[in-house]
Order: sequence, then C-alpha cells, then structure tokens
Amino acid sequence: MALEGASTDVRRAPSPEVPLGAEVRSETIAGPQATVGQAGGPEADRPSAPLASQGKPVEVAEFDVRTDEILVNMGPQHPSTHGVLRLVLRTDGEVVLEVTPHIGYLHRCAEKIGENVTARQWIPYTDRMDYLAGMNMNLGFALAVEKLLQIEVPEKGRHLRVLIAELNRIASHLVAAGTYGLDLGSFTPFMYCFRERERILDLFELVCGARLTYSYITVGGVTADLPPGWLQKCESFLDQFEPVIDELHVLLTSQAVFIRRTAGIGILPAETAIQYGCSGPVLRGSGVNWDLRRDGEPIYTRMYEGYRWEVIAQTDGRYPQDHPYPPVPKGAVLGDSWHRFYVRMLEVVQSVGLVRQAIEKYSRARGPVGEPIKQSQKLPKAEAYLETEAPKGQMGFLVVGDGTPVPRRCRARSSSFCNLSVLSELCRGCLVADVPAILGSLDIVLGEVDR
Amino acid sequence: MAVHWHSFFFWLMAIMACGFALAVVFSNNIVRMAFYLILSLGAVSGLFFLAGADFLGAMQLMIYVGGTVVLLVFGVMLTARRPWVDMQTSGGQWVLAAVVGALLLAVLLQTAFSVPPWQSSAAAAGALPPAAEPTAGPLGLAMVGVRVERMADRPAAESSSGLAGYLLPFEIVSVHLVVVLVGAAYLARARRRLSAAAPARPLEEAPQ
Amino acid sequence: MVDFLAQYLGSVWLAGTLWALVQVVLVLTVVMISVAFFTWLERKESARIQDRLGPTRVGGRFGWLQPVADGLKLLMKEDLIPAAADRVLFRAAPYVSFCAAFTVFVALPVASGWVALRLDAGVFFVLAVAGLEVLGVVLAGYASGSKWSLFGAMREAAQVVSYEVPLALSAVVPVMVAGSIDPVTIGDLQAGGFWNWLVFHDPFTFAAFFVYFTCAVASVNRAPFDLPEAESELVAGFMTEYSGFRWSVFFMAEYASMLAVSFLAAILFLGAWHGPLPLVAGVYAVLGIPAGHPLAIFVAQLAGAGVFLVKGYLGVATMIWLRWTLPRLRIDQVMTMCLKYCLPLSAAMFLGAAVWLYAFPAGVTSQLLGPGAAATEAAGSPPAVAGRTALAEGGR
Repeated sequence: MALEGASTDVRRAPSPEVPLGAEVRSETIAGPQATVGQAGGPEADRPSAPLASQGKPVEVAEFDVRTDEILVNMGPQHPSTHGVLRLVLRTDGEVVLEVTPHIGYLHRCAEKIGENVTARQWIPYTDRMDYLAGMNMNLGFALAVEKLLQIEVPEKGRHLRVLIAELNRIASHLVAAGTYGLDLGSFTPFMYCFRERERILDLFELVCGARLTYSYITVGGVTADLPPGWLQKCESFLDQFEPVIDELHVLLTSQAVFIRRTAGIGILPAETAIQYGCSGPVLRGSGVNWDLRRDGEPIYTRMYEGYRWEVIAQTDGRYPQDHPYPPVPKGAVLGDSWHRFYVRMLEVVQSVGLVRQAIEKYSRARGPVGEPIKQSQKLPKAEAYLETEAPKGQMGFLVVGDGTPVPRRCRARSSSFCNLSVLSELCRGCLVADVPAILGSLDIVLGEVDR
Repeated sequence: MAVHWHSFFFWLMAIMACGFALAVVFSNNIVRMAFYLILSLGAVSGLFFLAGADFLGAMQLMIYVGGTVVLLVFGVMLTARRPWVDMQTSGGQWVLAAVVGALLLAVLLQTAFSVPPWQSSAAAAGALPPAAEPTAGPLGLAMVGVRVERMADRPAAESSSGLAGYLLPFEIVSVHLVVVLVGAAYLARARRRLSAAAPARPLEEAPQ
Repeated sequence: MVDFLAQYLGSVWLAGTLWALVQVVLVLTVVMISVAFFTWLERKESARIQDRLGPTRVGGRFGWLQPVADGLKLLMKEDLIPAAADRVLFRAAPYVSFCAAFTVFVALPVASGWVALRLDAGVFFVLAVAGLEVLGVVLAGYASGSKWSLFGAMREAAQVVSYEVPLALSAVVPVMVAGSIDPVTIGDLQAGGFWNWLVFHDPFTFAAFFVYFTCAVASVNRAPFDLPEAESELVAGFMTEYSGFRWSVFFMAEYASMLAVSFLAAILFLGAWHGPLPLVAGVYAVLGIPAGHPLAIFVAQLAGAGVFLVKGYLGVATMIWLRWTLPRLRIDQVMTMCLKYCLPLSAAMFLGAAVWLYAFPAGVTSQLLGPGAAATEAAGSPPAVAGRTALAEGGR
C-alpha cells in the first residue's frame, strides 16, 4: 500500500525532519594523533552520519577533534545506556564537551506495520514500545482509537483501566529507580525493586497471562475481566510494598553518596524542558505543574474523575506531601537529577493510593467492563490524536482512519524520544561519570525511542 | 654442594638491575622503557635488602619505584601520540652515548676500587653480612638530631660532639617539599581554569 | 628453627633453604586460600544483602566449592589478547600487581614471632609495596590499547597515589604511639585485654583508625571508591580486555591487598593477634600450665594466629558489606574526599596524638590519678619502648 508522497525507499529515516535519500557531506576527524589508542578500530571513533534528504545536501557535523580531546563511544552495548543506545562523547579528559545520541538500533517499523493491520491487531505493537509499561501503551492507543470511533468504555472498565495503568506505573518507576541506583553503583536497591516488580508481574500474569507484553487493554475495553480473588492479592501486595518504599528512601533518596552523585547534576530549567517537549517526571522535576491525568483531554481525564490525588511537582517550594518523606537535601536544585528521581518516588506512593481507590471503585461499580470492538469494525475517515500520561511522559497516538478496519496511518509520539533529545543540552560541561547519572534520571527506554 | 644463597641472590639482583637497565637503553618503546626501569630499580632495592638495609630498601621501593616511575609512566602515556611510540636512535647518538657511558664507568670503577675496605677480596669472600640490626629506630632518631649509635663511642660523657644528627637537612628538605607541593597545586589549578573556560565548539544544525 | 632442622639434615644450607621454602609455601597457601574464600564470601554476603541466596549448589548447600569451580572455569577460558595491545606489557601487567599484593604478606606477622621476614621497618615496607600495585593497573590500562582501559587506569592511579598519603599518615599515628615501626613490636605491645588495643589508647588514634580504614578501602579500589572497575560506566575499566586466567590474577591481587590492609589495621589498631580478653593466659593460669613451655607457647601463638586471621577476615567482610550498600563516588568526589577531608583529618590526628603523648607519656590514667596509681599502671600498661628510652637516656 503506497501512500502519496512516500517513497518505497526502505532505508531508515532517523526523524521526520530529515527525509530519506539526501546526500550527506561530512568533515572527517582530524588525524590519528587526535585520539589515543585509535588502533582499537576506526569505527569506534567515527560516529555514523544519519542518512539525509533527497535534493538538499545536509551538512551533518562530524567531530573535528582538537589534539587534547577524546572521542569516547558509549554503546550500543553498554550496561548503563538503558538499551541499545549509542552515545558519542567528546571529552576533554574528564569533562564532557558534547554528547550525541545515536538511536535507531531498536527500530522495528511499528508505525509502518500499523498501516497493514487492524487497530486491535496493532495493540501488541504498542506493548513493545515502552515495554516496561505495556499497559499504559495499550491504554494510550486504545483511547485514541476510541476517540476516533467515539465509543465510551463503561464506568467499571474505566476504573479497571485506572487500576491496571497505575499498577504498571509503579512497576515502571521501580525499574527506573533500581536501574538508576545500579548505574551509580548501588547494586542492592536494584534487587529490592525487582523483587517488588516480580510481585506486580505475577499479578499481571494472573490477569492476562503475560508478564511483559500484555495486550490487555484493548479498543473498547479489556480482553477479559479480572479473575476472582485478584483484588485481594493486589491489596496484600500493596500492604507489603509500602515499607519497601521506605527502605528505598534510605538506600537511595536520602543516602549521602547518592545525593552527592545526583544533586545539582543535569539541571534542566523549566523553559528548556517545555521547549524540548519533555514530559512526565522530567518536566515535573523541573517544577512545571503539568500532568495529563488532570490537564489532558476529557476522554482521558474522565478516567481519573473522583480520585483523590495531586500532581507531583514542586509548587511554591514544596511537594504535595501527606506522608513523612525525606526532605529535599541541601545542594539539590530544582530540575536536577535528584528532583526527577524524587518525583518518581513520590509518584509511586501516589499510584499506590490511586490503585487502592481504584480497587474500591471497581468493586462498587456495576455493569460490564467493556467489550472489545470487532476486528471488522471500520474506522471512520477521520483522524484522532490523543496523548496520555505514561510513566515516562506523554505518550501520544495518532490514528488516521480511511473507512476500512485497517488504519491509514498509526503514529506514536514517544515521550522518551523527546526526553532523550535534551540529553546533549544537559550533559554539556559535566563529567563523564555524570552522563549515566543524567541519562538514568531521564528514564528512557529505547523501545519507545526507536519504535 | 652448598648453594650460597646470598651470592646467588646478589648475582640475580645484579643481573636483573644491569640487564633491565640495558633494556631501558636499547628499547624503542617508551612505555616498555618505563616498565624495564621499574624492574631495574626494584632489583636495586633487592640489593639493599640483601645488604641488610631494610629501611633503605623500602624507601627505594616507595620513592623510586612507587613514586618516580608512576610519574614517568603517567607522563609517557599522556604524551604518547600513537599506541607505541618508536624512538629511533641514530648512529651518532649511539657513539656519543657509548663514550659518555664508558667515561662514567671508568670514573665509578676508579672510585670504587680506591675505597680501602673494598680492595681486598679475601675478607669479603665467604663472609655473610652482619645480622640485621634494628635500623629504623636509630635512623629516625638521627633525623631529629640524635645519633644514638655513636653514643657509646663518645670520648667524654658530657661532650656531645659527633652526636649532631641530620635535623637541619631534614627541615630544609621538608620546607623544599612544601614549596614544591604548593607550586604544583598552583600550576595545576591555573591550567584547569584555562581549559574550563574554552568554549565548546557548537554543532552545526541540519538545515531544513 | 634453622638450627633445629640442621640437626636432622646435617647442613645449615639445606636447613635454611628448606625453612625458607616452607615459609614461602605457607604464606602463599594461606593467602591463596583466603582469596578463594573471599570470592565465596563476596558472593554469599552480597546475595544475602540483596535478599537472595548466592551459590548453593557446588559443594553442598552452602556452595563451598564454588571458588574451585570458578577457578577451573577461568583457567579453561580462551586466552584473548586484543590486536591493539602491547603484548609484552599486557602479559606482564597482572603479574606486577600480583607480586606487589602478595609480597606484602612477607613482612606481616600473624603471631608473636611468626613472621616470614622480620623487618625492622615492617610497616613502612608494607605501605611501600602496597603502593606498587598501581603500576600493574596503569600498565594494564595502557597495554590494552583501548581508551576505556586507559581512562580507568588513569583514574585508579590518581586515586591510589593520592590516598597513599592519608593512609600513611594515619598509619603513622599508632606507630608513633607505639614508638616502633616494627609490626611485631607493635603487636606485642597490645597484649592483655582489648583495653590495651591501640585504637582505644587515645581519641586521636581512635579517629585515625576510621580514617585509615576509609583510605584503605580507597587504596584497594573497593566501593564506594571503585570507579576504575565501574561496571556501569566503563564496563570494567582497566580490566576490560582481560579475561580468563589473567583476570583472575588481577582479582587475586585485589583480594590479597584487601586482606593485607585489613591485617595491617589489625596490627596497628585492633590488637594484632591478641583476643579481646586474655583467655589463653587465663586458661594457662587456671590449669597450671607453665607458660614458658614450648608447646604452651606454640599453642598460644596458634590461637593468636587464629584471632589475627579472624580480624583480617572481618575487615574484608566489612569492605564487602560497604561495596554492596553504598553507591559509587565520582572521581572528583573521591579526590575531594582525599585531599579536603582525609588528608587534613589524618594530619590533625597525627598532631593530636603527638600532643597527647607529650602530655601523657605514661598513659592518661596514671597521669591523672597520681604517682601511686602510676606504679600499678606501669605494671599493666604497655612497656616503654626502645626508641623512647633511648631518647630519654641519650638526649641530654
């Protein structure tokens, strides 16, 4: 199926702004004396230039290295780049002058495939985008198609969706916290976070049979209702989980060495965050009070009506807190890595409260949870775009229907992609050891960045 | 057939010291030179241990091997342009080096053989060195000005002649070291500010 | 011992050789078995901290034979040398570290009189040789031919060389209190109960112990100072290109130096081979065994060696505990800690201990309680040492 204006050129385009097929003219690295140990392989030192558009020559700057600078390549196989991400650092000894992320190693043409399968058949592809928060991905796309089809999920289904989405938010933030500690050398909280995450994954396995790629929340509702006894299991999990959060605070949030590694590092001003399109804890860590669960589209915010919760962002110098939490340490500046991490920790507690409320509302609600649409359901000749608050930020889905069950275009606007774009700005002038600290605080997942 | 271990280890250390020193001179690769120097100086400290000078041997290890050579290796590594820097020494330089080395050897040999206790080999053959005496304590006291090992030989109980230790040189050296430290810290700091002030080269944007 | 053996063997030379060989084998065996034990301990301790079990299959329920399995595996691995590596230095570097780490044990006594080489400047020798390990690291980083290894090696060298200074300064504090740099003498000084341990001698030595331990952890590159081995940042730092047997040599060197600094801490601060209470002497007194009998002395020394080993192992276990609890400090924070905190602190402790010794030369209790108490104190307090006596006698 050929869309007008598109080529059949199958080379990857790194971004919509740089079309396929253009010429690239690049400057080469100056001389072997610029890098030490270059005999390790020239490929290691020269970053690959992305393919550029047809017609206009795009000048992509390759690094012109002065004699006292080193080009260091982190990845794509690297323990702390959270996936297959390649970071090329231009450093002067220990100080990083420039970071260039090279992405696309996990690109799986999900959006192209979306033009060939029905909407419900594309739900599993959304799972694999932010694979740590599959339920939220499913929810985002399902809501977008529901917006297009103008169908409404019954009340019980909405509460169930809130329950599942918030539980997955906890799981995603646990991975973020654990791997962040791991990047900084703290091995133990990683194990504790994953132990708790295992329990959540067991709960999800009882619900839909899968531990990671759920495809549970689908267009029109969910694939199946909760099994009997699940709510009790969920409540007992939440009861035993809350002391673990305090343990994590001791080991990470208020731990002196952790604070030294994260406070004041990678400060992102609110203006810059908004300009780069950052969202989620990255945005809220800079003090911007914006959460789509409150400020988004009605079809999404309706799910959270009636819940008692607050947007976790520092307003007037304090966070919304009704529990005794570790205070903001001296040296932590609003917008630094510590604040982004702290927002995630507070959101975990927030989500625990939301899950409890959702359990209660779900139990009281009557009626069906929502029937998935038929595979033969035709999509109207219109388009719908909806952004939802995924754990890592604002995840947007565009569905363009053309009268057949198969959409004409499915597009995913990924939060991690925009969050990652701010990396080079944040890393300017920091030390090499700070790059994992900043990258970990952005909490990206490459499945989402590359789709 | 008794193996005289002292001689054996003396020959071993001596051959190592001289052999690795020759390797330093004849090697082409700077970092390998530094490595051979480590081994050569380590062998020299072994010789000190064999002579019963424990403190001096440990000092040799700490100062020469540990300190000087680490600095040497650092400096070599940070300035090496390619993984292996080959030094090509021309023929003329070899001749000059040989002449200077031979002259130095002649001077050293002449000085060594003019020391009276070292002239007769009969006394030295077969004799083991004296058993190790405690040297660290008297050395330390000498540094603060008291030569305890000479106290028994004093001509008169009241006179303190011949007892003056090394206090003054010790203090002078300490002050020198402080000056060096302060100077190094100052030099290092100034350079850091310079490189931090150099602006990062901006990336050219891909034009739309 | 040499004369004893010479009676049976007929020649002094043979006896001397045999005795030297026995000592070498003993030292090597004890240290190698300790190192193997530490690999097991690290896995078990880290597992328990992380709420899991660790090795449980090889050799029974507790996985005792896991180190053997690990060692066999490493021996059978393919011997890889990167194409860009400097072959001679790449091969030699692990052994430089290994030799430096193991030579330290030659001068460390495990019991009174049980020392391979009784050096008069023993503590100085230990500190000097322990600092040579950095050469192997630097050579390894360079010879691997990769930027990452070089990065890690440079960081480690800067760290170890910098921390040698506060380490030595805080080690000098108990040396000054004891009046001797001979570890056997320092150990003999702390006989009796734990109240005689140098760590409790005065508050400055007490603080110096913690400074020493921190600097010791930094100088053996353990977390929170393990940037050169930072897995999540530089893969494995200077060890990135090493695999198989060569890697295990580096790790043996690391564990051996951890044990060495723990042993030195035990000698200098924690009573060396004396237990917290004088149990052996007490048992001998109760049972009426003459303490001068050679067998009695031997058993006492054996008990002392056991106590000493336990203290060293506890030190290593604490280092392992620290590694799995704390995150890693950045290199500039490591250097800040050294130059702005550890160094001034150790210098202050040195000064404070010197002032304390000047003010209370015979111990604080005798000074405060008067001459009557001084007589009883002198009987139980550490004996005056040769250096101070010489000064008192000859300094006029």
